[in-house]
Amino acid sequence: MHAVKGVDLEIPKGEFTVLVGQSGCGKSTLLRTIAGLEEIDEGSIEIDGEVVNDVAPKDRDIAMVFQNYALYPYMTVFDNIAFGLRARKTPNAEIEAKVAEASRMLSIDHLLERYPRQLSGGQLQRVAIGRAIVRQARIYLFDEPLSNLDAQLRDEMRGEIKRLHRELGKTMIYVTHDQIEAMTMADRIVLLRDGKIEQQGSPLDLYERPATKYVAGFLGSPSMNFIDGMVTENKVTINNSNHSLDIPEQLKNKLTSYANKQIIVGIRPEHFSRADIANHQQHSKLSVNIELVQPTGSRSYVTFRLGQNSAVAELRPQDLLGHNTTIELSVDMSRVIYIDPITEMTI
Amino acid sequence: MKNKRPLSQLILGDRGFKYQLIAPSIFILLLIGIFPLIYTLLVSFQGITMMENDTSFHGLQNYIALGTDTRLWEALLHTIIFTCIALPIELLLGLLMAQLFIDKLPGRQIFVALLVLPVVVAPVVSGATWSLLLDTRFGPINQILGWFTGEEVTLLWTINPNLVYPSILAAEIWQWTPFMFLLLLAALSAVDKSQLEAASIDGAGYWTTFFKIVLPAIWPVMAVAILIRGLDLFRLFDIVWALTRGGPGTMTETISIFTYVKGFQQFETSYTGAVALLIIILLSVLVIGALKKVEIAR
Amino acid sequence: MKTSHRKKIKLAFRYVAVIALTILFLFPIYWLFMISFKTANEIYAYPPVWWPETLQLSNYRVLFEDGDAATVGNSLIVAGVSTIFAMILGTICAYSLARFKTGGEHLANWIISQRMIPPIAIVFPVFLLYVWFGMVDTYFGLILLYTAFNLPYVIWMMRGYIMDIPISLEQAALVDGYTRWQVVWKVVFPMCRAGLFATAIFTFVFAWNDFIFALVLTRTDVATYTVQVTHYFGGQSNFWGKISAMSVLGTLPIFFIVAFMQKYLVRGISLGAVKG
Repeated sequence: MHAVKGVDLEIPKGEFTVLVGQSGCGKSTLLRTIAGLEEIDEGSIEIDGEVVNDVAPKDRDIAMVFQNYALYPYMTVFDNIAFGLRARKTPNAEIEAKVAEASRMLSIDHLLERYPRQLSGGQLQRVAIGRAIVRQARIYLFDEPLSNLDAQLRDEMRGEIKRLHRELGKTMIYVTHDQIEAMTMADRIVLLRDGKIEQQGSPLDLYERPATKYVAGFLGSPSMNFIDGMVTENKVTINNSNHSLDIPEQLKNKLTSYANKQIIVGIRPEHFSRADIANHQQHSKLSVNIELVQPTGSRSYVTFRLGQNSAVAELRPQDLLGHNTTIELSVDMSRVIYIDPITEMTI
Repeated sequence: MKNKRPLSQLILGDRGFKYQLIAPSIFILLLIGIFPLIYTLLVSFQGITMMENDTSFHGLQNYIALGTDTRLWEALLHTIIFTCIALPIELLLGLLMAQLFIDKLPGRQIFVALLVLPVVVAPVVSGATWSLLLDTRFGPINQILGWFTGEEVTLLWTINPNLVYPSILAAEIWQWTPFMFLLLLAALSAVDKSQLEAASIDGAGYWTTFFKIVLPAIWPVMAVAILIRGLDLFRLFDIVWALTRGGPGTMTETISIFTYVKGFQQFETSYTGAVALLIIILLSVLVIGALKKVEIAR
Repeated sequence: MKTSHRKKIKLAFRYVAVIALTILFLFPIYWLFMISFKTANEIYAYPPVWWPETLQLSNYRVLFEDGDAATVGNSLIVAGVSTIFAMILGTICAYSLARFKTGGEHLANWIISQRMIPPIAIVFPVFLLYVWFGMVDTYFGLILLYTAFNLPYVIWMMRGYIMDIPISLEQAALVDGYTRWQVVWKVVFPMCRAGLFATAIFTFVFAWNDFIFALVLTRTDVATYTVQVTHYFGGQSNFWGKISAMSVLGTLPIFFIVAFMQKYLVRGISLGAVKG
């Protein structure tokens, strides 16, 4: 049973690369292989052009931040951060200076004499990060560091880590299952599925031009709506309904081979808008029955039925004034994607 | 659905109930623990010996006699020697063995089960077995030694004053090292692996990782192990009895054997009472002292 | 060299060490068992025989014929009954300590201190007491003693196990209408089954293997197998055949228990250390 198979990956220097995917997709395994904590059965890993398959973790000049912090409970924060430097026989004066700088960067310099058991989750995470950056390694690895924090802290730490990357400019490889973290933090996303790379590229690349249905459905919250329909003439007729969507001119050629065949249309919630407000040529109109409205304050998410599927539209709160049971929506067909139902790849 | 109870009683608990639960246990403990001790205390102030059944008050006579009884203090010394040699060896060996088992090892469970067997053998049987092994003419130990030296080996393991201590220690260490091994294996397995990984990435060598991360983590279990075994070693009786009966002479007489001889062979009842009390006091002081240390460490 | 090769060599070394250790530790047991199957000629043969010609049961037969084997039965009765008593009384006492903190720290500390008293200090006064009441060499006397000596251990261990059980289960049962006694029997006991087993095994093995209490408090009627073994040590020579056969008879049951309950035993030792 291989956790990761047939992965060919190049990570550019100085970039913030995020390995993202569901649990069990192999992202942690991949990271740990880079760290040297897991063995490779086949293939090679090169860092800066040097093959490091048989090089021990401590000689790879990498630093790692663990999900459960992995701090040493019987040492003070200072000793925790200084541990790696001490192991490499760095002179004390230098240790003092480096720890001071790292802890200042992370706003934990007032905690240096405390013990891990006296710190909160967020503080522990900063100490773990401090331990990593103080060694000024050439690669920083993060293994789901924010999973154990509550939502608000997570938001805060996301920004901190991104800021850190800007300041330090080092190569950072970050593993997470959270697609929001991936989207907001990455220079480059590598989406893994069942041990293989599903797609890689910049966040917006993957968001707007997903290669497969999986990628399309993974990024974005609420996730993309997948509507089943059939291609007829210049429209897509939605199954089990009398709705249809116009296919824009420029895409008609792409879909000729799908004439009279089933197809999946991917519409993101934000591609919907209230019909009488938006008025572009590329918009198809639909009249639907509202099943559920979930307001978040700045947006309202409306659930409705579209053929045999359930769909969610993202509208502004004012679009839904009054108790509506039906609403007329328009869809921005220029941004919609089409997916082959059999190969599950984007057309 | 049985009796419905008022909510207030549910929350406050049944006061009589909790005492009912402890009553039988406390009763038995008092019966066997306290009353005999009080009786012993009384007896120790009397003058019951093998010869006379003198139950008059003799004051501290027996206790004073304790001070000048060289055999008693020698027995104590022997006990301390056994403890101070066996305990560290068991600890170290157990730790080494545990280290051996800590990484992936196919069939580990079988080996652990086999290695645990010495622990569940009766200490008397352990002593008897080593008697067998160390027998001058018919024991395999001498035979094996003979293979190495090339000539017949007739060491008198259980009689030669220079060899009796190693013999007893061999039986004791053989039996109880697996106990330490098991305990330490559990403790080592519980060490947070990600800490070890972080240390390896940080660049710490084997010994640094061991002393700074592993040792502090397993220390609580080690302390308990030392306490338990230390106490057991203090009570050493069975193995010595089976191997040497405390001999030759009184060379290997432990404090327990001394007490047994005084009480059940020489029938110096009152004196033995004083000895018993002395042992209890000594042990209490040691244990309280040790517990205080453990508390402080925590 | 490649890390994978290095790892394989390390594993090989470890295996060799593990096997060597196992042989070393099991050798005495092997010898003991093997002697019990030898004839007198083979036992007293020089140089020592490492594998008997045939597996003889004569040593065992003698023990059964002489009635000495009955001492194993005594051990079973005494250890078994005292374990049951200690487990039941001790566990309910532990429940009281765990849930109601009865007696607070003082009671808990006093109880555990009882375990730390060396047997010789206890056995002497108990012996005097028993003589007075005529309880020497009786089943009742020995059972009572083992129960008393094991109670502190049982209480201590079970208290720890019970504290690990969420109290919500008992509260739910109470709300459902169970009496407090029923809660103890029907909810608590089943929940801490694993702890019960581990502790019971330890308690049983301790009583089964005990020597000094049995030595002092038994004579002929209730002698346990441990005492019986020492009877075969003579002044001039030892009856090795009987010694080993008796030892094996007394040790085999424990080996079987360990084999079947190995999981619990190992867990018991490790958890015991953590809770202690």
